[in-house]
Amino acid sequence: MRSMAHNPLSLEHILEEFDQCADLNHRSYPEIETDIVYFSHLVDTASFIKEIQEPFSKIRLDEVDQLLLQSQFTPGSDPKQVVVGILAGNVAIFHRGTVCLLDVYGPEMRSVQQSETETIIAGPHDAFVESALTNISLIRGRLKSPHLKIRKYAVGEISKTAVYLLYIKDVANPKLVEDMGRRIQSIETDTLNDGGMLTQFIEDMPNSVFPQFLITERPDVVASKLAAGRIVAIVDNSPTAISAPAAFFEFFSSPDDYYQRWALGTALRLLRYMALLITITFTAMYVSVTTFHYEMIPEALLRTLAESRNRVPFPPVYEALLMEIMIELLREAGARLPTKIGQTIGIVGGIVIGQAAVQAGLTSNVLIIAVASSAIASFVIPSYMMSASIRLIRFGIIILTGVWGNMGLVMGIAVIVIHLSGLTSLGTSYVMPVAPMKSTDWKDVFIRAPFSMLRTRPKQVGTSNRIKQKNRK
Amino acid sequence: MLKLRLIPVLLLLLLTGCKSDERILEKLGMVQTASYDLLDNKRLKVTYCVPVTDPTSKVRRELMTTVSDSLKSARLQFSLQTDLKVVSGQVRETLYGTKLAKEGLGDYIDTLLRDPSIALGVRVTVVEGDAGDLLSKTFKSHNDTGRYITHLLDKESYGNSVPATTLYEFSRDFNDDGIDPVAPIVKDGGDKVVIEGVAMFQEDRYVMRIPAEDGIIFALFRDDLRQGEVAINLGDKDGRPVVIMLSSLLNKRKIKVHQLGDGRFKVDIFASLQGSVLEYTGEEKINESKARHELEQKISEYITAKADLMVEQMQEHNVDSLGIGTYVRNGLNYKEWTSLNWREVYPEIEVKCHTKVVIKDYGKYS
Repeated sequence: MRSMAHNPLSLEHILEEFDQCADLNHRSYPEIETDIVYFSHLVDTASFIKEIQEPFSKIRLDEVDQLLLQSQFTPGSDPKQVVVGILAGNVAIFHRGTVCLLDVYGPEMRSVQQSETETIIAGPHDAFVESALTNISLIRGRLKSPHLKIRKYAVGEISKTAVYLLYIKDVANPKLVEDMGRRIQSIETDTLNDGGMLTQFIEDMPNSVFPQFLITERPDVVASKLAAGRIVAIVDNSPTAISAPAAFFEFFSSPDDYYQRWALGTALRLLRYMALLITITFTAMYVSVTTFHYEMIPEALLRTLAESRNRVPFPPVYEALLMEIMIELLREAGARLPTKIGQTIGIVGGIVIGQAAVQAGLTSNVLIIAVASSAIASFVIPSYMMSASIRLIRFGIIILTGVWGNMGLVMGIAVIVIHLSGLTSLGTSYVMPVAPMKSTDWKDVFIRAPFSMLRTRPKQVGTSNRIKQKNRK
Repeated sequence: MLKLRLIPVLLLLLLTGCKSDERILEKLGMVQTASYDLLDNKRLKVTYCVPVTDPTSKVRRELMTTVSDSLKSARLQFSLQTDLKVVSGQVRETLYGTKLAKEGLGDYIDTLLRDPSIALGVRVTVVEGDAGDLLSKTFKSHNDTGRYITHLLDKESYGNSVPATTLYEFSRDFNDDGIDPVAPIVKDGGDKVVIEGVAMFQEDRYVMRIPAEDGIIFALFRDDLRQGEVAINLGDKDGRPVVIMLSSLLNKRKIKVHQLGDGRFKVDIFASLQGSVLEYTGEEKINESKARHELEQKISEYITAKADLMVEQMQEHNVDSLGIGTYVRNGLNYKEWTSLNWREVYPEIEVKCHTKVVIKDYGKYS
């Protein structure tokens, strides 16, 4: 225990707290008996010069007390507050035994740029950055309403990461807001680095392969989710926002759908559902047909298929797994490598897999087509999280078809459907407009109906305020 | 709870026993065409045509022939001849020699139907002469005779000039009361395969045939049509034949049965067809409605005459390929039908064919 005589708010005590923090700046102004303590990399240089450097170098000793009474200076009352303040980018000013804090927070941040993972052709191109407050400013810029409420939580024993919970009062279901807030508060962890981590702490079923909250980088998506009555969480230092409750079918809609004409939006959305089917079944169908169901092959394809299989030494299931793993390796390498090398790898890999593997007799060229089209189809799904999950599932189905043929395929799909129907997102059904059946919502799920028909908010969010657009007279 | 979850997994594991059902594509000898002939010693000559899937091989098909007592025992014998597993799930065409067809196809059709891997869409075709010899022959521009015949019949049946009979249709007509099956006949035409006509069966025995050029007339009176072409010779004019050809035929067929009592019937068959004139070498101006109606009249007379003759022949051979019996049956109750011996009644009944022709269009510029 320290002695009572020792002032806990003294400069020495605070410096002791920051012992061996080489990045701490401590500057003295002996003429005016003042010391300042701050982290230079957390403060905005321009305001630091204007608020601290200029006045303190000109001022006389008897004027300091007067200056510190100004409203921008917060008097410090306990050492913990001062320490946290310094860590949060404040400048602590020690003058004759009193402490004042001045907020000049403004570290270097990435500027707002285009989204890398959720690119669209039409529509806004801005994406979230790592600063939560910048992100909130992007959202507030789109929803200029006092009903947009924001709650703040601190998560993480060490990191104390700020997590903001956004919702629109009178539109979002208050029960879901409370539930989400409760879940965020109950997280027990040391550090929280990203929104993706947050979802895993608060998801209904963390062991499922399917993402149960929608993760997005796009402020326009967040704005529309909020307006639909969903709740959004933003994690500081993470360029992603989390929207909940999420439905399986939400992952297949892209903001593009709404920015283009409805017929095009509908066609593209249907294309994505087709892509889902192709991704799951194409390679698996190849395996099951060539292993068990030769009767299913159309006459025109029979010779081609049999000829291309002829030189392959493995059973189809090993052949398919080999190629699928190659494609995944290529994809992973492409994602990790710098862009320039990545392109080279893509070309080399494409030639190796496409040409050489067939010529060497390791695989059949029909399989290459099946694997390639199912890989391409998986990239059509707009959400990276969802497409990764589906790619993973595909392997299970390929193995099933290798053992039980079409029956394995059907069993695999049945298991997926059963699992999906059991999933919940924030306590609501994950496959909402389908089960439980809410046919009025179908017009914005499987198709993208014209805006004149999209007048209600989804049933899944359980809002009491369903009408979002009154009939125009 | 854990136990409950384990049960389906265990059940599935039991199914891994089905791994022996694996049929890996390149290890299969997929029979695409099969031909059956009856030999003089009453044994069966079976020829299978299997596509060769080795891309380096020069031959495109492997032919296997054996003499056996039944279809399925033939398959066992083929297994001894090849390194592939002989399977019949890809059979598209079955060819029957005339001799076998005359003896009756019932047993063979039944064997094929019993095999679940054989589709009902498999074709049944009669070959004039020896089917095995035709299948074994390689025609210059076609390296797979079986496929060549299948495609030939496919295309022709689209225009309804011959009925391309499937296993389903054959067995349906065979097992149904009051109708007899038909099948196309092909023959070796030297350097090509030629469609010879329509084979008419009594029960399952091939009895008579009509030539291919009359196939469309038969089709007009057998069923409704949505497609077809017919060329009609209207006689000579100045030493040149006058020919009219109708295309894009639309045909509605109706059968009316009049009961005359004592097991006597009078049957009227109506065919009303529409078509476009594609060719006309006569003098009449067919854009004038009077001339056109005269022409329609002439065509219908021609078709009716041909049809009457055809029906006469069918009655003579006692084959009911038009299915008149089913219409008679529908007009009777079950007891009356069963007490009626249709085979005896059929040759005696009076059948009249009626044709109504409407020329829809007669060309763009005339």
